[in-house]
Amino acid sequence: MKKDNFWSPYIAGAGLGLTLLATFVIVGWGLGASSAFSLLTGIGLDKLNPAYAHKLTYFTQYLNVEAPLLNWVLFEIMGLFVGALVGSVAGGNFRVRFDKAEHMSTGTRLVSAFGGGILIGFASRLARGCTSGVALSGGAQLAIAGWVFVIAMFVSGFVGAALFRRLWS
Amino acid sequence: MSAPFMVSQTAGLVLAVVLGFFFGLFLERGGLGNPHKLTGVFYLTDFSVPKVMFTGMLVAATGLYLLSDLKILDMNRVWIVPTFFWPQLVGGALFGIGFLFSGYCPGTAVAGFATGRLDALVTMGGIGAGSLVFAVVYPAIEGFYFSSPMEGATLPSVLGLSHWVVMAFVYVMAGGMFYVMERYERKR
Repeated sequence: MKKDNFWSPYIAGAGLGLTLLATFVIVGWGLGASSAFSLLTGIGLDKLNPAYAHKLTYFTQYLNVEAPLLNWVLFEIMGLFVGALVGSVAGGNFRVRFDKAEHMSTGTRLVSAFGGGILIGFASRLARGCTSGVALSGGAQLAIAGWVFVIAMFVSGFVGAALFRRLWS
Repeated sequence: MSAPFMVSQTAGLVLAVVLGFFFGLFLERGGLGNPHKLTGVFYLTDFSVPKVMFTGMLVAATGLYLLSDLKILDMNRVWIVPTFFWPQLVGGALFGIGFLFSGYCPGTAVAGFATGRLDALVTMGGIGAGSLVFAVVYPAIEGFYFSSPMEGATLPSVLGLSHWVVMAFVYVMAGGMFYVMERYERKR
């Protein structure tokens, strides 16, 4: 397997930190990600079954807005996609593939990718954000939220890896 | 005029795309579009995630508090991520398992998809499904969701310490962590 020519994680991290700092300074809040998924799910459900969507109290925060798609995090995520695409093409690292651990069957990978996603989607709503909005942005503000989230996430990830030793290694 | 600046909605959305572009670029260039690297930390085989994440936090935190002390940035007008202790502790723990299983988090799933990874697209679908599950069960867990509120609590405010004292702890902790990771990686 060809080795990906990534940057030093410290250089990439410094760039990420400066991007986050610029976000705080310019718009007055941090970077996010998970709320874009929740927003699109709420809007999608509203298209399929508006009566049911409006019955879900949690989704009404997106639906009672004049132009719900003109959402800051949603636009940021579109930029994120383009930035990562440019990075991977420029780095010679773009390749259409279905990535999984070597020994993993396609079925297992489908379940781990989708099931893990469900957990992430649920947990992000419960925690009011994810690694971007709570851990990174909150952590940089020295907000309790960010440090509680990040410590709980790493502890549970380590315990999980000990229990599911053969999942990725 | 002191920051943060008031921008119109249109200008805000343009800035969102630009800032998001750099967010995605640095995530991908740091290796965080790759699920093997993303899960490596949990198996002690690759420390890209904590290195990128904590370097980013340190740089942003230093700049944020420095600009605030220099009165260039008005911290009272920066939206501080609100703390709800128990829901965020439980949320973080569930998130860790989801991260381990899928090999992604929401932002890195989009970055992974942008590198051509179709499994990341499956995870993105899962994240949407998980949001729906939350919205469906929300009435039953609303009490827990709003429990243990600490609003804009920060480590300096709760510990009653100057933010530079807290930052000194964070620098030492992160520095020690980076040192151990580098030594461990060299040994392997």
